[in-house]
Amino acid sequence: MFKLFSNVWNQFKEYLVLISLVIISLSLLTQNNNSQVQKVRALAFGSFAAVTSVFYDVFNITQLKNENVVLRRLNAEMMMQLSMLREQGILNRELKGMLGFKDSSSLPLTPATIVSKSLSITQNTITINAGKTEGLKPGMPVISYRGLVGIIQSCSENFSIARTLKNVDLKLTVKNEKNRLNGILKWDGEKLMIVDVPRTYDFDVGDRIITSEISSIIPVPIPVGIVSKIEDDKTGLLNLIHIKPFEEVLSVENVFILMIVENAEKNNLELNFYNR
Amino acid sequence: MKLKYFIPLIVFIPVVLIQLTVIPFISIQEIVPNLLLIAVVYFSISNGQIFGTVTGASYGLLFDLISGNLLGSNMLSKTIAGFIAGYFSGETRRDKYLYTYSFTLVVFISALVDAMIFSFFSVIDFNTNFLQALFNHALLPSIYTTIVSILVVVVPYKRAFN
Repeated sequence: MFKLFSNVWNQFKEYLVLISLVIISLSLLTQNNNSQVQKVRALAFGSFAAVTSVFYDVFNITQLKNENVVLRRLNAEMMMQLSMLREQGILNRELKGMLGFKDSSSLPLTPATIVSKSLSITQNTITINAGKTEGLKPGMPVISYRGLVGIIQSCSENFSIARTLKNVDLKLTVKNEKNRLNGILKWDGEKLMIVDVPRTYDFDVGDRIITSEISSIIPVPIPVGIVSKIEDDKTGLLNLIHIKPFEEVLSVENVFILMIVENAEKNNLELNFYNR
Repeated sequence: MKLKYFIPLIVFIPVVLIQLTVIPFISIQEIVPNLLLIAVVYFSISNGQIFGTVTGASYGLLFDLISGNLLGSNMLSKTIAGFIAGYFSGETRRDKYLYTYSFTLVVFISALVDAMIFSFFSVIDFNTNFLQALFNHALLPSIYTTIVSILVVVVPYKRAFN
C-alpha cells in the first residue's frame, strides 16, 4: 500500500500538490464572511499596514502633511455643507417651504491618510491609517473634499481597508440631484455606471449624481460623480448611465471617514449590503 | 533546511511593499503590473514546478490577506500561474527561460492565466460579455506585467537567488 502511494506520489506529485492547493483556495473562497477569517485578515493587514505606512510616506514626499490635513478638513466640511445646502435648496423648492429639516450640517469627520493602494481592474481597495481606536466601523463612508471615495470594509486597531467605488463588490444607491431619480451604482470592471435605468427616466449628460437617502450604507447626500454618457442596454428598454467620479482613487492621498453607520434595523430591511 | 525555501518569503516583503505603495504611481487607467507574479514565475522556473506552485499559493494567500481582496482569489490564480510557469523549468531549460527574453514570454502566459482566473472570481456578471470582460481584464494587465518583467532580464543579477 505504501509502495503504491509512493509510486503515485512520485509520478503525479506536481498534480497532487496543485490539486491540494486549488482545493484549499476554493474552500477559502467560500469562507470570506467567516468571522474567524475576518479576524485573521484584520490582524494580517493591520500588522502589514504599519510597515506600509512608513514606506508610503517615504515615496509620498510631495505632501505637506499638517497644513494639508487642516485645509482638506476645511474643504471636506465645506463640501459636505455645500452638498447639504444644495439638497436643502432643491427640497425647499419642491416642497415650497412646507417641510422643516433638521440641521445636520455638522457631520462628524475623522481624517486619515492612505497608506497603500491595492489596484486591480475589479477589486480596488485602499488601506488607511485609522481603525477601531478612532471609532471606525465597517460600513462607514470614506470621502475626500471632492466626493465619495469608498466604504470601510474591515478594521483592525489602527488601520482599515476600504472598498473604493471601482470595486465590483461595492454597489450603492445613488440619485440624480436634478430630478431625484434613484438608481444602483456599480463598477463592472470597466465602467462606473447606474444600471437598469428605465428609458423614461430623465438623465442627461452632465447631471450630478449623489448618494441617496434611501441607501442603507450612506444616508446623507455625498457627491459621487457626473453623468458622462448614456447608453442603451441590450434589451432596448433600459439605459446604462455612465458616471465619471469626482474623486479618482489614484490621485487621492488624504481622506475623511464620515463617522456614521446607517441604522442596523433599516439595513436588515434593505438589500444593499456592503459585504458580499 | 535549504536557504532557497526561505528566499521567496524574504523577497515577498519588499515586492509587496513596492506593489502596494510605488506601483500605483505608474498605473495606467487602473492597470498595474503584477510584481508578485513576476517573482512567482522566477522562482518557479529556477526551482521547479512544485516549488513554483507552492510559492504562488503562499504569495497569493498573503496578498489576499493584506490587500483586502476576496480571500482565496489570488491564491488560486497564482497557484495555477506558478504551476504553468513550472513547465518551463528543468536543468536544460532553466538558463534559456530565466536569463533571456524568453522569460517575458513565460511571464506573459502566466500573467494571462493569473488575470483570467482572478477576473473570473471577481466579475461574475452574466449581463456583460464574459469573454470580452476576460479579454479586457486579463490581456492589458498581462501586457503591462510582461513589459515590466523585461527588467528581470536586463538587470545583471544572475543566479543571485539560486
